[in-house]
Amino acid sequence: MAQLVQALALGVLIGGIYALMASGLTLIFGVLRVINIAQGAFLILVATFTWWLWRVIGIDPIVAAVITTPLMFGVGWLLYRFVISRIRGQAPSMSVLLTFGLALVIEGVLNVVAGNKFRSATPAYFEESFRVGRVLLPKAQVYGFLAAIVVLGVLYLILTRTWTGRAIRATSQNPSAAALVGVGATGTAALAFALGSASAGVGGSILSVLYPFFPASHYDWISRLLGIVVLGGMGSLPGALTGALILGLAETLTATYASLQWATLVFYLVIMAVLLVRPQGLFGARLREDAA
Amino acid sequence: MLTLSGVTAGYGGGNVLQGVDLHCAERTVTCIVGPNGAGKSTVLKVISGLLRCRAGSVEMAGTRTDALAPEAILRLGITQVPQSQALFPGMSVRENVLLGGYLIRRDRKLLARRYDEVRARIPVVAERAHEHAGNLSGGQRRMVEVARCLMLDPKVLLLDEPSLGLDPKSLAAVADLIQSLNAAGTTVLLVEQNVRLGLGLATHGVVMEGGKVRLTGTAAQVRDHPEMATLYLGGPPPAATRTAPAT
Repeated sequence: MAQLVQALALGVLIGGIYALMASGLTLIFGVLRVINIAQGAFLILVATFTWWLWRVIGIDPIVAAVITTPLMFGVGWLLYRFVISRIRGQAPSMSVLLTFGLALVIEGVLNVVAGNKFRSATPAYFEESFRVGRVLLPKAQVYGFLAAIVVLGVLYLILTRTWTGRAIRATSQNPSAAALVGVGATGTAALAFALGSASAGVGGSILSVLYPFFPASHYDWISRLLGIVVLGGMGSLPGALTGALILGLAETLTATYASLQWATLVFYLVIMAVLLVRPQGLFGARLREDAA
Repeated sequence: MLTLSGVTAGYGGGNVLQGVDLHCAERTVTCIVGPNGAGKSTVLKVISGLLRCRAGSVEMAGTRTDALAPEAILRLGITQVPQSQALFPGMSVRENVLLGGYLIRRDRKLLARRYDEVRARIPVVAERAHEHAGNLSGGQRRMVEVARCLMLDPKVLLLDEPSLGLDPKSLAAVADLIQSLNAAGTTVLLVEQNVRLGLGLATHGVVMEGGKVRLTGTAAQVRDHPEMATLYLGGPPPAATRTAPAT
């Protein structure tokens, strides 16, 4: 029983962190219809920068999110204005090509600047745990989870309580109607891309502590994130949260009762099973091609 | 009040509108009728700035609007209720209506006052304030769409097929609302497939066919014009735009 509770607790902790990472990807798709393949590369870029901040300057990797989040917000805004906006209105497949190219550029730059080797930030609490009864909760995962929950909460408040958030949701749900009430498409899209990139700021900093990474790790991460948002329904934030929790729990339960090697396979089996029944994902809206 | 002169516009390589001239005087209700593909909805898109015209001009009370962004056109007092699916289905009715006041969002008092006015005028806004707009019936959605437009207290209201998909009771409610808005001073330009309903509501009528204006005049003149039967029942189109003679 204690083993099950331990696995569930770890699954929820990891799921919360995955949710944060996937929220940016699904937000960007929801508003811009851009599939940002570079989101994984953003995470690795930030993780590498966080590792450098921790190793060279001595800043705690999770606290470093205070620096990396606004930085990635700015990077995202600039990328939208000068790169992504050029394919506005094109089919989502164009965005896959463009952002895949962007991911390759980031990977190449990281290879040159940081070198092609595994890294991991290991602060003092890296190997410590909180004990709750018979359950052990690794401190790094607890801190990462708390940071993720805070950021997801702030994102939720921005989307539901501010005019900027309403404009983003309006554009996501009905772009032409949003234009008719005076919501500027370009400004809103840039903000959505910037917010999505900012989530990779926090996510990358947390990743640097929890997982070893190297420049090409972004392929693994974008696969997981795409899996989460496809399972949840493209463009749906509640879907991303649910998909992330399912991935977290699938990983920890499989690792506990079978082997860690099977964890990813189990998650993709879950995706396939769900998509057979609900091709639009758990929370996605089904579009008729002839009515779209 | 609102004047289109020689407007040519379209999508991709073709021109849907081919030199449209149109004038809506202040406090009138003008109804554009015509068969499918005549370019009626495209006229509204050009006026609200969703589609740029390739030639010609659009003026609102003496100001050229054809090069302005939709947001700037809204600020001049022109709002549009599109043909269908104009709401944000995942948001509440209140949020949908409030978004109509996006341009006045920084003036909280004005926003609150307008919302109260709209709520008093259109009961469904108060009754279903916290319900998701996606759960409303067709008639209720139409009312909320109009309510959203009223948040900016428009001078000109553009309505694209307000009767589309409505049951008779909802249709009557929408028609009453259009007439009361016009009585309060709003200029209305509507596009309608239902000729009898549209021209019944309107003070003036415009008949379009093949991207051109074929007939203009008072609603009664247009409704009773012999060419109306030709345009709707087939036969060769008239050679040029003409104003229906007074009956």
